[in-house]
Amino acid sequence: MTESAISAHGLTKRYGRLLAVDHVDLEVPSGSVFGLLGPNGAGKTTIIKLLTALSDITEGTASVAGFDVQRNPMQVKQRIGWVAAEVILDDDFTAWENLWLQSKFQRLPEWKDRATALLKYFDLLEEKDRKVGTYSTGMRKKLEIALALLHNPSVIFMDEPTIGLDPGTRRMLWELISGVNREFGVTVLLTSHYIEEADALCDRIAIIDHGKFVALGTPSELKARVNADLVEIETARPMDQAVLQGLPGVRDVRSQGKGWILKVDSSEAMLPRLLETAKEHAIRRINVEKPSLETVFLDLTGRRIDQGGNETFDFRKFYTTVRRSRQ
Amino acid sequence: MSTGTEQVTLPELRLVAATHRIPQGTQFYGLYARELLRTFRNPWVLVITVVQPFMWLAFFGSSFSAAPSSLVFGLFGTTSYIAFLLPGVLSTSMLSVGMFGSMSTIQDKRFGYMKRILLTPTGKSTVFLAKALGSATRGLVQIPVMIVAALAFGVHFSGDPLMWAGWVLGLVLLGLGFSAMFLAVTASSTDWQTPGVISNFITMPLMFASTALFPSANFPVWMRTISEFNPVTYSALFGRGIILSGNADWLYLGYLGIFAAIMVALGTLVAARYLRVE
Repeated sequence: MTESAISAHGLTKRYGRLLAVDHVDLEVPSGSVFGLLGPNGAGKTTIIKLLTALSDITEGTASVAGFDVQRNPMQVKQRIGWVAAEVILDDDFTAWENLWLQSKFQRLPEWKDRATALLKYFDLLEEKDRKVGTYSTGMRKKLEIALALLHNPSVIFMDEPTIGLDPGTRRMLWELISGVNREFGVTVLLTSHYIEEADALCDRIAIIDHGKFVALGTPSELKARVNADLVEIETARPMDQAVLQGLPGVRDVRSQGKGWILKVDSSEAMLPRLLETAKEHAIRRINVEKPSLETVFLDLTGRRIDQGGNETFDFRKFYTTVRRSRQ
Repeated sequence: MSTGTEQVTLPELRLVAATHRIPQGTQFYGLYARELLRTFRNPWVLVITVVQPFMWLAFFGSSFSAAPSSLVFGLFGTTSYIAFLLPGVLSTSMLSVGMFGSMSTIQDKRFGYMKRILLTPTGKSTVFLAKALGSATRGLVQIPVMIVAALAFGVHFSGDPLMWAGWVLGLVLLGLGFSAMFLAVTASSTDWQTPGVISNFITMPLMFASTALFPSANFPVWMRTISEFNPVTYSALFGRGIILSGNADWLYLGYLGIFAAIMVALGTLVAARYLRVE
């Protein structure tokens, strides 16, 4: 299948004067895993809200699973699944009851066989009659994916699927997400600010910053775009850009805070010269980055992904975390 | 992890063509059942629901128990103030069930569950109707408890089963109307405190400017005017007529029906437009 499971043109969202999503064009082929990679506040979650008709589109068009999001939101919602960043379940109910509720919301006359098979697939069958408030985070996450798959959707949206999880659980989820995509043939659109996650899971990635796509391609295409080492250097006494630019093997120099980012052919070859030159300016920090999605972002925006831009403290998420940890 | 996905029977999706509205009955049933299960599984909600009106009867109802019966009869038209008070207290307690419905909605917004609901083919109006009817149903628990309590305080009841059914229906309509009103007012709120503030704002005047606790004969004119438009008054008068003298004035029930219908209609419109997701 080659048709698009998700397609958007000039997708824009304004909250008052804030431009959260800025004329985004998007095509996600059926059956693929697509990643939106960017720092917190870049507009990833807003894009999901627009594509799932949870939030009104200010400008532009979008269609998901063959239906126009603005004209037929309910038809879209019948065909999509959704996994939240913060794990949203009814804690007072058992796993089976959560599935039952989901079957009602999705109007499924027959759901028990599918629910049983999903619980089995996610190793939760034996725990199905336990209240989900007593589940571990990994189990909750798995149940949430099972809920998203219950009505056999053609597209699943996953918002920061592994945020706040320990490395072991994160790896387990990566396997599950790939498995779900492969075995259930469902298109996945996920957001992440973890480089490794996007690299490991996604067929194609859009790097997003300030509501705009700054790059789009397969992970290897994106990495090939930079095809250079990045050297970050910060000194106590300011260095002159022209001096750095004049060093052999330096392709480009751009400022980063109080220091510079150098795009170089080979960091091994040029580092001795750089150290020599920078010595008299008192080096405070030096960092070498080999080609990765991180360097792509660094190269495009002059910032690191997890440095964020306009990161704000999310009280609701914090409260949810506190509540969970008390149980 | 098992990989036996071949045996999975895919659920039959009742997909609806783009030109059709998606029926909401199944979603309503799920949401309504969730409301009731959540309530009745929480013992404290039940305890408070039952204890609160009981305390009214016991403490407030006893305030005239040492008064000469001629004085009580002169004021209330019956020698038992508790008998006078019972329909009134049940009516005022329908004011507070609205607050619980609105709090449960705000909880769903805060914990994100509203997103889970609204990312399925479930309309905002359906969520609203399930919440409103859920709160009204919750209020019904108080009725049998209060009647038993009143019997224990030595009250004698009149009326026939049809009238009693009408009385209960009147209370459901009152509860539904107030729940709808609360939910409409708090549709766009996500603050825990809002329902409490609004409850204080609404409950006090509506409770005192009604015949729930005292007859309106000694009210000042302005209070009597409020009382005459106040659905709590009609619910109290309707129930009082039935249990004190076996007289049902069905017009009161009609008035309560109109009140509930207007509030539900308004609330449905407001929810469809303004119900916030988070």
